[in-house]
Amino acid sequence: MLKDDDFNQIVDFRRNFVLAVMGVFCLVLAFNLYILQIKHSRKYQLMSDKNRIRVLPVVPKRGRIISSDGKILAFCDYKHKLVMDYCPKKVFEENVRILDGYLNFSEKERENLFRLRRKRLPSITVRDELSRDEFAKVSMNLFRLRGIHILNTYSRHYSMPLEFSHLLGYTSKNTNEFQVLTGKTGLELFFDKKLRGNIGNIQKEVNAAGCNVRIIDKEDPVNGEDVKLTIDSEIQKFVYDLLGRYKVGACCVLDMQGNVVALVSFPGYNTNLMSLGISKDEWNKLNTDEYKPLLNRFSSSVYPPGSVFKIVTAYAALCEGVVSPRDRVLCLGGVKQDNNVFHCWHRGGHGKLNIYEALSYSCDCYFFEVAKRLGIKKLYKYARELGLGRKTGIELPNEKSGLIPNKEWKLIRHKTYWKTYETMIAGIGQGYVLTSLLQISSMMGKIYTNNLNYSPTLVVKDSENRNERRDEEKNEHKYREESQKPLNKEACDVIKKALRMVCETGTARNSCYAPYGISGKTGSSQVRSIKAGEVGINQQFIEWKYRDHALFAGVAPYDSPKYIVAVIIEHGGGGGSVAAPIARQIFDKLLRTHAR
Amino acid sequence: MQDRVFFKEIKIFLILLSAVILTSILGQIIAFGGFEAQVRRHIIKIIFGFTILFAVSQINVRFWKSFAHIIYAFCFFSLILVNLLGSTRLGAQRWIDLYFFSFQPSEFMKLSLILSLSSYYSDLSSYELREAKSHLIPFLMTVVPTFIILKQPDLGTAMLLLGVGVGMIFLAGFPTKKFVWSVIGFLGVCPIGWHFLHDYQKNRILNFIDPNRDPFGTGYHILQSRIAIGSGHIFGKGLFQGTQSSLNFLPEKHTDFIFTTISEELGFVGAVFIILLFAGLIYFLFWIGNESKSRFSRYLSFGLGLMLFLHVFINIGMVLGILPVVGVPLPFLSYGGSSLITFMISSGLVISMSSKARR
Repeated sequence: MLKDDDFNQIVDFRRNFVLAVMGVFCLVLAFNLYILQIKHSRKYQLMSDKNRIRVLPVVPKRGRIISSDGKILAFCDYKHKLVMDYCPKKVFEENVRILDGYLNFSEKERENLFRLRRKRLPSITVRDELSRDEFAKVSMNLFRLRGIHILNTYSRHYSMPLEFSHLLGYTSKNTNEFQVLTGKTGLELFFDKKLRGNIGNIQKEVNAAGCNVRIIDKEDPVNGEDVKLTIDSEIQKFVYDLLGRYKVGACCVLDMQGNVVALVSFPGYNTNLMSLGISKDEWNKLNTDEYKPLLNRFSSSVYPPGSVFKIVTAYAALCEGVVSPRDRVLCLGGVKQDNNVFHCWHRGGHGKLNIYEALSYSCDCYFFEVAKRLGIKKLYKYARELGLGRKTGIELPNEKSGLIPNKEWKLIRHKTYWKTYETMIAGIGQGYVLTSLLQISSMMGKIYTNNLNYSPTLVVKDSENRNERRDEEKNEHKYREESQKPLNKEACDVIKKALRMVCETGTARNSCYAPYGISGKTGSSQVRSIKAGEVGINQQFIEWKYRDHALFAGVAPYDSPKYIVAVIIEHGGGGGSVAAPIARQIFDKLLRTHAR
Repeated sequence: MQDRVFFKEIKIFLILLSAVILTSILGQIIAFGGFEAQVRRHIIKIIFGFTILFAVSQINVRFWKSFAHIIYAFCFFSLILVNLLGSTRLGAQRWIDLYFFSFQPSEFMKLSLILSLSSYYSDLSSYELREAKSHLIPFLMTVVPTFIILKQPDLGTAMLLLGVGVGMIFLAGFPTKKFVWSVIGFLGVCPIGWHFLHDYQKNRILNFIDPNRDPFGTGYHILQSRIAIGSGHIFGKGLFQGTQSSLNFLPEKHTDFIFTTISEELGFVGAVFIILLFAGLIYFLFWIGNESKSRFSRYLSFGLGLMLFLHVFINIGMVLGILPVVGVPLPFLSYGGSSLITFMISSGLVISMSSKARR
């Protein structure tokens, strides 16, 4: 039997044992410290001195963006940046004293330098951009300075900042750790990887004081590739200036191969300001502007297409055989459906019309009737086939797909059933229908090239390697042949004929009757429902933001189509009176430059 | 007469504690290269810690004795909550977010284990203590949370918990022969435990055995840490003159590697001073334990002493390269709230004990 005293003895012994073990362990630590800090200290001091390899980034040059007529739209400029490694205070003060002679620090700058040093960052930026003079002085005296490096960085510039603002986008002011320019919007963002290239580096050895000793290793950066666009800078500028007469609008010019000749959104903004650093006030001003200059209006905003959509309705009707070209429908200026009267834009009514007349006068009643016969399911199918309500796949970020409604969509979105009158409104491109300008122009392209796979593209492919290019061309040729997906020939012919009539005797006769022959379709899409008393009121008497959007989508010349032009003027009023004249002038310019 | 002795004890403890706290602030100033915002935040945490210390010191030790098991149960369940639910629902988290600070159950598990074991042992007679079977419950109370924490994975805290638990079982009087056999048995079972470790933990242990195995991985940190400490020499490179830490060769220079940062700039003298400071604190804890009349206080202060010692030894051993890198902070000195609060609570308990336990 154990006694309490015995037990206490055991516990005391154990306590002392544990204390002794701890003491031994502490001695082990102290002994190790002794070995490290006193016995082998010399070795570790040497290692510590050697242990200073600085890796400095070498920034690649960002690729240029070039227009089809050879104008350089975006390019990079050299910029010299002065950085200083962390170094002992004496060296630091000496450096600042010497640099002061060349750079003339202000009191604030100097204070800032000392403040940054105290943060003990591996390196600090002394000057973001050296002038030519300063660069010469500093680089001549670099041997007197310790731990100072001059880094090459780049700044991005745009030669036509306003005209190309939405298309090219802009780069960030190099704020990331390696000072690499990165694309923020537009093509700069879409082709960022290609334009950016790969970063290189220089490995420098620095000595105990943090000063440069020698360059150990070097890896050159890979500069970014150029991007060549299909855009014609002259046309782009011309279109931008034309749109400048109106407040807000967009325009898209395509050729028959799907190359985009001009893509403009007005108003633009100065992308140089963005890439070189914009002040907060200016940025706020851009953001709060009533006309939203930052908005890309050709692919990232969607509108009800209005009467332009009647092309789709007509095409669907002809394909499905709901009407024949000869069938006539009576327009009395309005149709009654679901306890509501739906008016034609022409209050008096058009009388009896066939499909040619209906398209050329843009009769609403005719298309109400046709859409009702078609039903939303078929209308949806043909609209999607012609590329509406889906992305065109152009090389731009943030493309919006728009919307073609159908019964399922409405049930999910609004949780109510589809009504017949909604089919009718959809038939004239109003109601839920939303498309982007690019989709409209691509739809025209599909009809006039008789190829459902027609899609717009912004970039000339493989401009450098010729052999490769030839192969590509062959392949592409094959690919194109394979991917040729024809439309209904008869229906297209009817529509082409009708669209010619639009510009000769129809809604666009005043502006688009040209010797080379334009065919197209006007559209005035309502932005709100019209009240009973307002039908037929002059658009100029309505408040600006309630006016109709003016649209026009056309092709010229008639015999052998070369260009497609689509114009939208936001709240511009009538398509025939506002949008069509712009298209006419663009066609004039296009065909004249082409002839030359 | 007796009162004067208490005050003397508290005075010694407070002097030691404030020396540690001052070293801590100095260490953070060295790590951040001046009186930066982070240092200020650290000081705010210390002040917050002192309010907790004061609050705990005002509570009678008997309170902790009676509530020890409840606290243990609470910590244990929140540990399970974080680990079993945490891995699926909250994402791999070791902590529960409590608006003001994040509550890390594994951190408080150590403290609650010490409390709970002290409470358990203080109720047993010396006969029972000499019997192996009465140590079964403390053993389970130690091993089960250790396994949970090992699965987290947090090798450092698991080692600590096991060390504290086994140490306390040993101090309580577990039969000597059986203890020796159990330790030998445990070492034999270790290779099986190897399979429970995560890859990076295995790597750390392998790197510890052979530092040249991966000079740019975890071995790199240890090498850099050794270079930093070694280049400090006797008096160090001087305040703010350390190149290793300032040129960012050191990882975690303000948390786990704070000892490296300090000993680079203050040298052997500074490093030994810190070790002596902690040794003083640990010895004080054992002394207080020996002096106290209540058995609960005795076990409690032994446990706290063990915990403090294991923290210091594992951390410093780790930065010196004699133990694998397991991520154990240096008490009071490392930047970070959870660990600081644990040790502030412990200090509060010590003050409470030294003033009330003997009455």
